[in-house]
Amino acid sequence: MLASASASASFLPRPKPKPHLLKRLASALTPPSPLSPSTGADPDPDQDPTPLFLRPPAHPVPAPSLAAFRRRAAALVPPSAPHLHRHLRWLLADAAHDPDADPALLRAPLGDLEALWLRHVRDRRPFQYVVGNEHWRDLVVAVREGVLIPRPETEAVVEMVGRVEGFEAGWWTDLGTGSGAIAVAVARMLGPEGKVFATDVSEVAIEVARLNVQRYGMQDKVQIRHGSWFEPLEDLKGKFMGVISNPPYIPTDDLPGLQPEVGWHEPKLALDGGKDGLDHLLHLCEGLSSVLKPGGFFVFETNGNKQSEFLVDFLSTKWDSSFHDVEAVLDFADIKRFVTGYRR
Amino acid sequence: MAGAAVMTTWGLSDDELMGQCEMGTFKASGPGGQHRNKRESAVRLRHRPTGIIAQAVEDRSQHKNRASALSRLRTLIALKVRKPINLEEYTPPVELLQILPLKSTIRRKDVGPQIGPNNPKFAPGMQALLDLLFAVEGSVSEAAKILGLSTGAVSRLILSDDSLRTAANELRAAKGLKPLK
Repeated sequence: MLASASASASFLPRPKPKPHLLKRLASALTPPSPLSPSTGADPDPDQDPTPLFLRPPAHPVPAPSLAAFRRRAAALVPPSAPHLHRHLRWLLADAAHDPDADPALLRAPLGDLEALWLRHVRDRRPFQYVVGNEHWRDLVVAVREGVLIPRPETEAVVEMVGRVEGFEAGWWTDLGTGSGAIAVAVARMLGPEGKVFATDVSEVAIEVARLNVQRYGMQDKVQIRHGSWFEPLEDLKGKFMGVISNPPYIPTDDLPGLQPEVGWHEPKLALDGGKDGLDHLLHLCEGLSSVLKPGGFFVFETNGNKQSEFLVDFLSTKWDSSFHDVEAVLDFADIKRFVTGYRR
Repeated sequence: MAGAAVMTTWGLSDDELMGQCEMGTFKASGPGGQHRNKRESAVRLRHRPTGIIAQAVEDRSQHKNRASALSRLRTLIALKVRKPINLEEYTPPVELLQILPLKSTIRRKDVGPQIGPNNPKFAPGMQALLDLLFAVEGSVSEAAKILGLSTGAVSRLILSDDSLRTAANELRAAKGLKPLK
C-alpha cells in the first residue's frame, strides 16, 4: 500500500513546475467550452458507484504522504478560485475517517484522491460528485453523475410544505425526485399517516433516491416509482394533499452558456425545459387538478420572475375554476422562484 | 439604539426575523437555481431595521449556517437594541425573571429554574435586563431594588456573560459610570 501511495504520488506534477502548470490550468478554467472527459492518463476512480463518503476507510496512508498530497493539491488552486481550498478541506474530511491520524485511513487509495482532485480543479467536475454528497438542509444527500445536485433555493420548498395545514397526515408527491432530497426531507416531517410518492424517469435517479431513502430510514414513508411525471401515479389520482416539483426549467438555448460545473457535468435531462424552459412546468400544470384532492396544495420551482409570473397568470386564468390563491414566492435572492396554490 | 421601527423586532419567530434580513452573500448570483453550482455555505445576514450584521461560516451546510447566523443576530439585537421602559408601570417580563437567581424576592415559583448564559433563552432575558439597566441610567443598585436582589447579585449576573458585561459597561460608560469588573 505504501508502494502504491508513492507510485501514485507521481500523478500530480511536482511543486517545481508550479507557475507553468497554474498558468495552463488558469487558461483551461476561464472560457467555458465543451470539454470531453479527462483525456489524460488518470484512471476513473468512480467505477464504484458507491459515493466516496460512504465507502469503507480501508486504505491506510502515512500522515506525511497525506500532508504532501494536501500541499500539492493546494498548489493547484488558482487565485481566482479560493473556495477550492475549502473544498480540499472538505474532501479530506469525507475521504478520511480521521484526516489527522497516522496512518490516516482513507476511503479510496491516495492515487484516486489525486485523480479526483485533478478532475475537480481542471475539468470542473462538481465537488459534490467528487465526494458523492451535498449538504442540504439538515441532510447529507448522496449524489452522483446522472442526478441533479440539490440547490440551496430548493430548501425553501420543504418549509412551504410544513406550513400547509394538516400536512403531516397527507399524501405528498415529489415529481422528478432526482436524488430524493425533497422526498426524504418532507417524509421526515410527516406523521404516521403521511406518505411521499416520488417519481422519476431516470433509472440512476431511482437508484440514488432509494439509497437516500434507506440512509434516512424512510422506507415506510417514501415510495419511489419509476416513470414520467404523473404516469406512475394513475392508481392514486385525487388522493394527494400535495404536489411538489423542481422540474427542468432552463431554456434549451441557455444550456451552452451555463457554468461548467453544471453545463458539462450535470444531467441535461434534469435541466432542459425546452424552448422557453416551460415544457415540463406546463405539463405539470395540465395534470395537476386530476392528481390533487380538493383543497390540495402545490409548489413548483421555476427559472425565475418571467416563468413564475407566466404560470401564475396561466393558472389563474385558464385554470381558474380548478385553483385558488395561486401566487409567486420569492427565494433568498428576491427572485420569484416558486409558484404555489391550492386546488378548489 | 431605540425607536418605533425597532420595536417590531421583539418576539419574532425565526421566519419573521429572517424576513427582516438580507442574506448578503447571494445578491450577486444572477439567475440562480438550476443554473448555478457554487455553494457558498457562509451566510451573512443584515437586519434591515437596525443595520446589525451577523454571520456564520463554520458549517458545511448553508442551512445550519443560516440557523447559527440567525441565533447570533438575536443575541446582537438583544445587546444593541434598547426598548424604552416606563419605570412607574414596570413589571419585569418573564424572560428576565428566568435569568435571575432563585433568591430574587420578585421571582415567582412558577418561573422555573434559573436559565444560564449557555441557554438560547438567555438572550431575551439579557435584552430585558439591559433595557432595565438603560432605564435606570446604568445604576446596578437601582436595578437590584426593582429585581428583588442585592446589588452584588445583580453585578454577578451581569458578569456571568462576556457580551452582557460588555454591553452593560458600554451603557454605564455612556452615563459616566465605572465599568463592572
